[in-house]
Amino acid sequence: MISVISDKAKRIWRLVPNYVFLSIASVVSIFPLYFMAVSATNTSQEVLGSKLLPGGNLAENWRNLVANNDVGRALLASFVIAVAITVLSLLVCSIAGYGFEIYHSKGKDVVMAILLLAMMIPFAATMIPLFQLFRNMHMYGSWFAVIIPAISTPFMILLFRQSSRNFPHEVLEAARLDGLRELGIFVRIYMPTMRATYAAAATITFMNAWNNFMWPRVILKPGTQTLPILISNLTAGYVTDYGGLMLAVLLASLPTVVIFLVLQRSFAEGITGAIK
Amino acid sequence: MSQATKSPQEPAKAAKRAPAKKGKPPKRAKQGLLGLEQKRNLTGWTFLIPAALLITVMSFWPMFKAFQLSLQIGKNKLEYADPLWYNYVRLFTKDKTFILTMKNTFLYLIIQVPIMLVLALILAYLLNKKDLRCRALFRTAIFLPCAISLVSYSMVFRTMFAKEGLVNDVLVGLNLLNEPINWLNEPNAARAVIILGLLWRWTGYNMIFYLAGLQNLDYATFEAAKIDGAGPIQTFLHVTIPQLRPMILLTAIMSTNGTLQLFDESYALTGGGPSHQTQTMSHYLFEVSFKNNSNFGYASAISFAILVMVAVLALIQMRVGDKRD
Amino acid sequence: MKQSKLAALLGAGLLLGLGVAACGGSDDKTDASDTATATETSEAPPAEETSDEPVAPETEDTGAAGKSGELTVWCWDPAFNLYAMNTAASIYQQTNPDVTVNVVEVAWDDIQTNLITYAQSGAIEELPDIFLCQNNAFQKNVINYPELFSTYTDSGVDFSQYPQSVVDYSVIDGENWGLPFDNGAAIAAYRIDVLEEAGYTLDDFTDITWSQYLEMGKDIKAKTGHALLSGQAGASDMIMMMLQSAGASLFDSEGNPTIAGNDVLLKSIDMYKQLVDAGVMEEYNSWDEYIASFVNGDVVGVINGCWILGSIQTAADQSGKWDLTNLPKLDDVEGATNYSANGGSSWAISANADYELAADFLASTFAGSTELYDSILPSSGALANWLPAAASSVYAEPQPYFNNDAIYAKIVDYASKVPSNNTGVYYYEGRDAVGTAITDILSGGDPETELQEAQEETEFAMG
Repeated sequence: MISVISDKAKRIWRLVPNYVFLSIASVVSIFPLYFMAVSATNTSQEVLGSKLLPGGNLAENWRNLVANNDVGRALLASFVIAVAITVLSLLVCSIAGYGFEIYHSKGKDVVMAILLLAMMIPFAATMIPLFQLFRNMHMYGSWFAVIIPAISTPFMILLFRQSSRNFPHEVLEAARLDGLRELGIFVRIYMPTMRATYAAAATITFMNAWNNFMWPRVILKPGTQTLPILISNLTAGYVTDYGGLMLAVLLASLPTVVIFLVLQRSFAEGITGAIK
Repeated sequence: MSQATKSPQEPAKAAKRAPAKKGKPPKRAKQGLLGLEQKRNLTGWTFLIPAALLITVMSFWPMFKAFQLSLQIGKNKLEYADPLWYNYVRLFTKDKTFILTMKNTFLYLIIQVPIMLVLALILAYLLNKKDLRCRALFRTAIFLPCAISLVSYSMVFRTMFAKEGLVNDVLVGLNLLNEPINWLNEPNAARAVIILGLLWRWTGYNMIFYLAGLQNLDYATFEAAKIDGAGPIQTFLHVTIPQLRPMILLTAIMSTNGTLQLFDESYALTGGGPSHQTQTMSHYLFEVSFKNNSNFGYASAISFAILVMVAVLALIQMRVGDKRD
Repeated sequence: MKQSKLAALLGAGLLLGLGVAACGGSDDKTDASDTATATETSEAPPAEETSDEPVAPETEDTGAAGKSGELTVWCWDPAFNLYAMNTAASIYQQTNPDVTVNVVEVAWDDIQTNLITYAQSGAIEELPDIFLCQNNAFQKNVINYPELFSTYTDSGVDFSQYPQSVVDYSVIDGENWGLPFDNGAAIAAYRIDVLEEAGYTLDDFTDITWSQYLEMGKDIKAKTGHALLSGQAGASDMIMMMLQSAGASLFDSEGNPTIAGNDVLLKSIDMYKQLVDAGVMEEYNSWDEYIASFVNGDVVGVINGCWILGSIQTAADQSGKWDLTNLPKLDDVEGATNYSANGGSSWAISANADYELAADFLASTFAGSTELYDSILPSSGALANWLPAAASSVYAEPQPYFNNDAIYAKIVDYASKVPSNNTGVYYYEGRDAVGTAITDILSGGDPETELQEAQEETEFAMG
């Protein structure tokens, strides 16, 4: 019996549980997204009635949404802030994580442990002092005030430090023998090798920056909207247009999804960049 | 876990590790080469400076200010309390709501985090098969929940778990329940909904860390395992998991931290209700800060209590998980 | 190794602390300016003096001259408050073309957060000239942060043209701090088609008591299967409306909680429990589900602040089937009425305002222009609290959605009969504690004990 089935068929057969399990997980995961997308095309009343089929109210929802809200400006603000945070954060945190691991010393372990403490500070506690700090620097209301506190996060440093443990030291030594300077090794060898980690880090950082709500709404002057602030305003009135709300929420979810789709190829390719 | 290091696949790993011991050979030649070592050490420090400086100014300085605040009382004009630790005494000995929110938070932590991490690990492992089709599709679908706006997620969950919602319909239809449960209005059922919500939202997120970790792994070790005749489960337990240890530690610290500071689900899914029964510490902190009569001294004390709890747990996890050799 | 790690960590933490402290010392300038503003405001003791200073002398009406300047206003809800404010601005600009009014959309939660943040960091100059404030949060904010507000004492607004209960939300020690705008008068709306189906008319629900309401509700439930009322579980809105309808409150005039052993409160909760137990009232777990309950036709009545009418009209297919009347009143309670309120909001002039301009603007529009109210009512449903506006014919127009009834005239009439509510500083804490108590009582707890606990919880929050 066993000899009849080819090796290849056996391998495919072995993957069946994978398919079943992953399919169930996918369907469960995707259902609320489906609801959101469908609701964006329905009227407020239909959304409240949990209608699960697409309707014909998309254009109307869009008109209502843009009539009272400057969606374009909120999108732009959110986008510029999130991209700036992502780029700066990846640079600053990856070089720090690299420094911690590659030039490992006891002193650095101590510093890392201290920096980790910062991750555990609930944000609500530091908000008022941070607000005062930026006001004293005359940066209240500026986009920089939103960006700067989000650049260096212990979590990202830790992510890069942990990932660097798999960065082959032979490669490092070889590069040094080739006469590359330390920063050169980081830029030319480490960065391409760790593509998978960068891709994951970029996705996470962008997502957090994109959804950040508390801090922007405190440090930006009222009236400066980012997308999450706009969405919270949609539910602040007496009457909520649920169709329009779901459309806005859908718009707000798309960029992270796109970023993930674009970057996830790097997750897979990450390994091929490694020099063995 | 350290037992795993003694598994038969170890040679390959050891071979890889050996040169990793930071340029030990030259250590003897004191004069010239130790200078190089020092120089590199210094380079390492300069690499850390921007990040460390930013964290110091943006987190530690405000944290220090917040600690001062936590010793003060008053609604507008704050004054140092007498005794100084008044807020802390009040928090742990008199504030029933805080104690309740603390219990809730730890319940979420103990039940949800292990389930989530194991599930994420399994999913990552299942997805990381080279000959699996539609990998990108599965990967995207499972990651998506954490990218979805909290507004729609909470609306969907509340609708599904409403008294006449989908979940009750299914459970009653399958005869698993005799009568519908009012999920969000019974303390334990509502807590279960919060845990399910957390699992739904964050399992895929953790999965991508494991996926990234798996991508960076050393394939030679898998080849070695195969040659030694290890089955898939053995390979998973003895080759994959030990190598993923840094990543597992990272996600464990991160999830612990995230759960102890949990705010979203409590705020958006149940509103902390019924009557604080599902509320988390951070949600309570937020209410004390901004909802009612804002009491920043007291709120800061709450945040420091949370900070200490997270820090202690993280230290324990690092002791267990961060063994270098 | 581990020991040393920990020790090193502690040591480094100490160093860090010292370093940070040193930083603080060297940062003299900012610190000094900070404390300067702080002491300035804290020296001037209670509310009045602080804000009188910039206000006092030159508030005589300049009349025809036409003013100039710019006003910034914060409020929420584009379809409602922003719309009204923008309309007021354009009316004012007809006589004062050099005035610009910059209306900014800010959600109430954000306004509250900003007030707290500004007060805590002495950032008074970041305040707008005018902002909208929830009635229930008004006294709390003025008492906690008097340095953020200006009084209306020299504004020229005639507060006698407002119902007393509405003005009282923002009166502290006899002084006015808010100009009532958004009307929170409570209404009881019913699906008259369903009432008829069960053999009732709107008149049967007018000027009734809660026990009559309960009986008819049971009958309607039996005949049609529909609940008459819905609410959000854990929210105490309905109880608070019942309390206020009898002029009762959770606090005495000194601001001390009177939750434990509060007879009116006990009676209200008892009625609430009967309504829920009988299935006449259906509890939902979230605001969205609550709205859905009547928009989808599951529940055939609504009792809430009149601002709920906007949500009722979300259901286009129910047009003409709704009508409204006054509330049931509590049985056997002295001073019980059929009138109450929930929510509503008032305009505050900030301490950072161009006071003269802001006061003149508000006095000549929201407290002086029938034209304003006539134009905002039809398109936004924004009802006047300013009594002279209610005499306008616009208020007497029949509304097709509500069975061609002149509902707006009705509501304004209700608003004038609402007993005053004592909100005080700890209104929200008391309300939350009562919400918890109600949840526990509904699941079988003893009312006396639960209220005693709510009292303690509120006292704890106050201490």
